[in-house]
Amino acid sequence: MTEARFDRSAVEAFLIHEAALLDDREFEQWRDLFDEDGYYWVPLRPDQKSPEGESSLFYDDRKVMQTRIERLRHPRIHSQTPPHRTCHLIGNVAITETDAAKSECTIRSSLMMADYRLRVQRNFAARVTHRLRAVGDSFKIAWKRVDLINCDDAFELIAVPF
Amino acid sequence: MNAINPAELRALIRPDRVHRSLYTDPAIFTLEMKNLFGRAWVYVGHDSLVPKPGDYLASRIGSEPVLLSRHTDGKVYVIYNRCSHRGAAVCNEERGNVKLFRCPYHGWTFATNGDLDAVSMRRGYGPDFNLNDPALNMGQVPRMEVYRGFVFASLSAEGPSLAEFLGHARESLDEIVDRAPDGELDLSGGVHKYVFRGNWKLQLENVVDMYHVPFSHESTISRSGRQFGRRPGEESASAISDKGAAADRWEQRVAWGAAQYGHSYAGHQPVAEGLPDDPVFKEYVAALEARHGKARTEEILVPRRHNTAFFPNMTLQALNYHVRVIIPLAVDRTEIHVYPVQFKGAPAAMNAGFVRHMNVTHSAASFIQTDDLECFRRCQEGIATQGSDWVWFARGTDTDREDEHGDFINKGTVETQQRAQHAAWLHFMSQPA
Repeated sequence: MTEARFDRSAVEAFLIHEAALLDDREFEQWRDLFDEDGYYWVPLRPDQKSPEGESSLFYDDRKVMQTRIERLRHPRIHSQTPPHRTCHLIGNVAITETDAAKSECTIRSSLMMADYRLRVQRNFAARVTHRLRAVGDSFKIAWKRVDLINCDDAFELIAVPF
Repeated sequence: MNAINPAELRALIRPDRVHRSLYTDPAIFTLEMKNLFGRAWVYVGHDSLVPKPGDYLASRIGSEPVLLSRHTDGKVYVIYNRCSHRGAAVCNEERGNVKLFRCPYHGWTFATNGDLDAVSMRRGYGPDFNLNDPALNMGQVPRMEVYRGFVFASLSAEGPSLAEFLGHARESLDEIVDRAPDGELDLSGGVHKYVFRGNWKLQLENVVDMYHVPFSHESTISRSGRQFGRRPGEESASAISDKGAAADRWEQRVAWGAAQYGHSYAGHQPVAEGLPDDPVFKEYVAALEARHGKARTEEILVPRRHNTAFFPNMTLQALNYHVRVIIPLAVDRTEIHVYPVQFKGAPAAMNAGFVRHMNVTHSAASFIQTDDLECFRRCQEGIATQGSDWVWFARGTDTDREDEHGDFINKGTVETQQRAQHAAWLHFMSQPA
């Protein structure tokens, strides 16, 4: 594969597609963007080096993602009755590293996500890092790390991934 | 604001219900900070969070901001997070390490036990200004005691000793600490924080509520009636239901409430399966046996207590081991910190598994805790209405009895535990100024 596969507009389109899946609550399709060994990580501290051995807001491999999504689809999930509505806004997309041999690249972007439920709207902001692998004519996510600027805050209940 | 007299307080607690003002009245909240959090032994933090001299952890006793600090003498101290000069909060960070505490405002410095170190521009004070006046220290709270790593403190110089206060609830701490091969817990695996729009007692009542589980947490129970696996390699875990054999096992849990001081616990359900037999667990058992021998190790590993609530502000769980701290911010706002517990001397993989499973059970984005938070918010919303003056705790009033120590005991999905909490609440709140 050529480095041209990892051009900014292609990865940005991918991130926009990922955001749309989350906002449309297409969680199964969102899970399928992750590679088999993929994981989704939202640390609780700004300098957290690894998701192992320390608490995280989300640390989902595909198996945990599956359990999470099944619960989100449960007819009596009280904390999502009604569900959160979300709006993920992606910006500042930059490819920071490309590994042609592995067909992988690292993307950094900024995320603002608003969510709304029962008269309360929240606004989250984060620096996001994706590790993408070129697979077929698209990408798979090897891992996604979301560094919320308020990562060590006390949160009201959260259900939808950032 | 009028003081609330003991007769008025007594009228709020009935044998099977409590008055809604406990959860909604700001005057009661203010009195709780003074009479309850201002008098009881309150959990401040764990000494594994401040291992080295100069380490500190920000905490609270009721509404008082304090620091748990490890001094150069190797001991921990609990001091007010307040510069003695003009009252500035000295530490902004939740955790850190310092040689000296230094106030940003005028540069006064303090030793890590709170003693005044130096006043800047000393000459500006006259010769009669006494630098040894203890009022110039970041003061230590009146009483502090550490039990097996758990640091408790009291804002009152008088009252029961910590041992007397904890009573037989202390055994819950022993049960868990004894499970660490090195005899020490480690709470440094991070902390989950969440906040809810509700009174702090909603959380305290919930951790020893065995009635709510099949209903609140319905979304975690598969069609086969089993909850998702909680331990590494587990496909699924306990059967949870309000009917049938699963419910029967649930009803065998011990329900215990202290006669004094409000502590309570829910026991473990009878264990159908044996202990895990994977290599990591076997390595763990070997470490315990090296320290305690086979017989004592077997005793240590028997699951006895599930959730213990140390009145007023700390809970301990022995399924997904964690310490939970309840921080009352306002009558209708509470912050909760949940620390996964790791066992010193246990295999790294076991401890990492403990931490990892807490992410899915108790983070603010978790599968379990979020449904509780939703119910707390709904309770606060509903309790504020004039629809009814009372909140019910009537389960088991006809079957409560006393154990051999005079504490209250019962079984299953009763509310013995919450009644013990309310009795202690009344005891502290009714005390004269």
